[in-house]
Amino acid sequence: MKKILLILFIVLPFLAQLVVLPFVNRIDPIILGLPFFQFWLFLWIVLTPFCTFGIYQLQKSEGGLD
Amino acid sequence: MQGNLTALSITILIILTVVLIGFVAGRDKATRSSVEEWSVGGRRFGGLLVWFLVGADLYTAYTFLGLTSTAYTAGSLAFFAIPYSVLAYFISYFFLPKLWKVANHHKLTTLADYARERFDSKLLSSLIAIVGVLMLIPYICLQLSGIQDTLKVAGTGFINVEVVVITSFFLVALYTFFSGIKGPTYTAILKDVLVWAIMLFMVVSLPIIHFGGWNPMVDKMVTEAPHLLTIPDAGPKGIPWFITASLVSALALFMWAHAATGVFTAKSADAIRKNALFLPLYNIVLILVVFLGFIAFLVLPDGTDPRFALLRLIQTSYGGVAQGLAYSTIALASLIPCSIMAIGASNLFANNIYRDLINPKVKGAKLTMITRGMVFVVIGLALLFGLVFPTALVSLQLLGVSGMVQIFPAIVVSLFWRNQTREATIIGLVVGLAVTFIVYSTGFSFGIYEGFWGLVANFATIVAINPLFVKKAKFSTNAVKNYLFDEVSKKTEYVQKGA
Repeated sequence: MKKILLILFIVLPFLAQLVVLPFVNRIDPIILGLPFFQFWLFLWIVLTPFCTFGIYQLQKSEGGLD
Repeated sequence: MQGNLTALSITILIILTVVLIGFVAGRDKATRSSVEEWSVGGRRFGGLLVWFLVGADLYTAYTFLGLTSTAYTAGSLAFFAIPYSVLAYFISYFFLPKLWKVANHHKLTTLADYARERFDSKLLSSLIAIVGVLMLIPYICLQLSGIQDTLKVAGTGFINVEVVVITSFFLVALYTFFSGIKGPTYTAILKDVLVWAIMLFMVVSLPIIHFGGWNPMVDKMVTEAPHLLTIPDAGPKGIPWFITASLVSALALFMWAHAATGVFTAKSADAIRKNALFLPLYNIVLILVVFLGFIAFLVLPDGTDPRFALLRLIQTSYGGVAQGLAYSTIALASLIPCSIMAIGASNLFANNIYRDLINPKVKGAKLTMITRGMVFVVIGLALLFGLVFPTALVSLQLLGVSGMVQIFPAIVVSLFWRNQTREATIIGLVVGLAVTFIVYSTGFSFGIYEGFWGLVANFATIVAINPLFVKKAKFSTNAVKNYLFDEVSKKTEYVQKGA
């Protein structure tokens, strides 16, 4: 379970910010005053640190950090 | 167009204040007692200070002026900077703490130092140093043209721009020589605070001034300039370019000498992990900066030089005081990174070109003096190139990222791959640089970022020829390899037993 979560946290930022770009490259809908493409990039500025934090916590709980 | 006297006075006042802080930061003689003290502050900086330093380091005048002008001419392609820098910090989480530990344990101050110790190769370290210095000087030049453009807009009719640019860079070189990394660190705090305050102020006030609010502005962009808001489907640069440019630039970011210098100042591996965690938030500023480029597109008259998009936007929108604060922010974003870059380049030059290649016996006080003295040479060269060939610089900088990323296998992959050999790494690096250069000069990039082709060739070469040399590498060991692979495996065993 922990391993799956770890892989997910590692893969998600790349998936969201590189791989899916052709599908989010659009203007509608406008969310929070931002066209969708810009909103998506903004969203991942905020979400990526959560992925990093998740990895940090998982590594810590396994005693892999010093 | 005539400048504004109030704006100019504020800009010059703030520049002088920062130069003064730069000198005061080094009043303690210990700051220049050794290369380690002078260049990486004795590795004593906590998480917050490193955050300011790396932030100050990477978000430069060129970031602000270059991104707005890209947004102005090429629309959303400018947004490649967002995934690029978010992913750069994310990726750094996985290797920087390890690299920091090796550097700390073996008292290394440059990436080339690490490569020398890891591969027992002065050839590799001097090669990396040459690439680093060669790519960094155009980057320093860009900072220089940033402040030059700013002073041109602020001071036309009042001052001789060239004289002021040369004077301010001389002062920066002097305080860098004097205070080392402490100079830019303390001034970085002031710069970062100004950057955030000014960018937020502009993003709130400009839509109100020109469109009556944020939402009317976005509506206007959607109806009048929808091509700005998405990545183009046709044309030489589309989504494949965007993706590969983001990825390659992300891998390259911490290969720059100034970024590495910033990282090596940290006092612990954990400070670096926390930085990797929080640095992406800095990019909120970047999105705003790109929008400023879009505003400039809607507001400024046709035929405005894109290079001046942000500066002209500031000039036409604000009165003297706000103009002055905005100009000084850009000026500081040019001077402070320049100081850190000069430290990085001098360090590479003195340690890995002069010592590793020319005079291996030099050490102690003499090496420290040479490292510090190189600041004047580096900034002097940048000034010379910047004033003589200003237009060639932009393409050199574009090539810079593609060039810098080629040392990624030597610096990062080698932290994890025990049997990576010196021979394969050197040949891979040379092949990568050659392929990048050929793709760049012939233009056969097929819509993909040049450095990507180079990096693929680099990796492929290493993987293909590594087996030829692996026999020797398998059985040989050295202090760094031992620290990275043998001790670490013992430690994990110990941890597992303990758990």
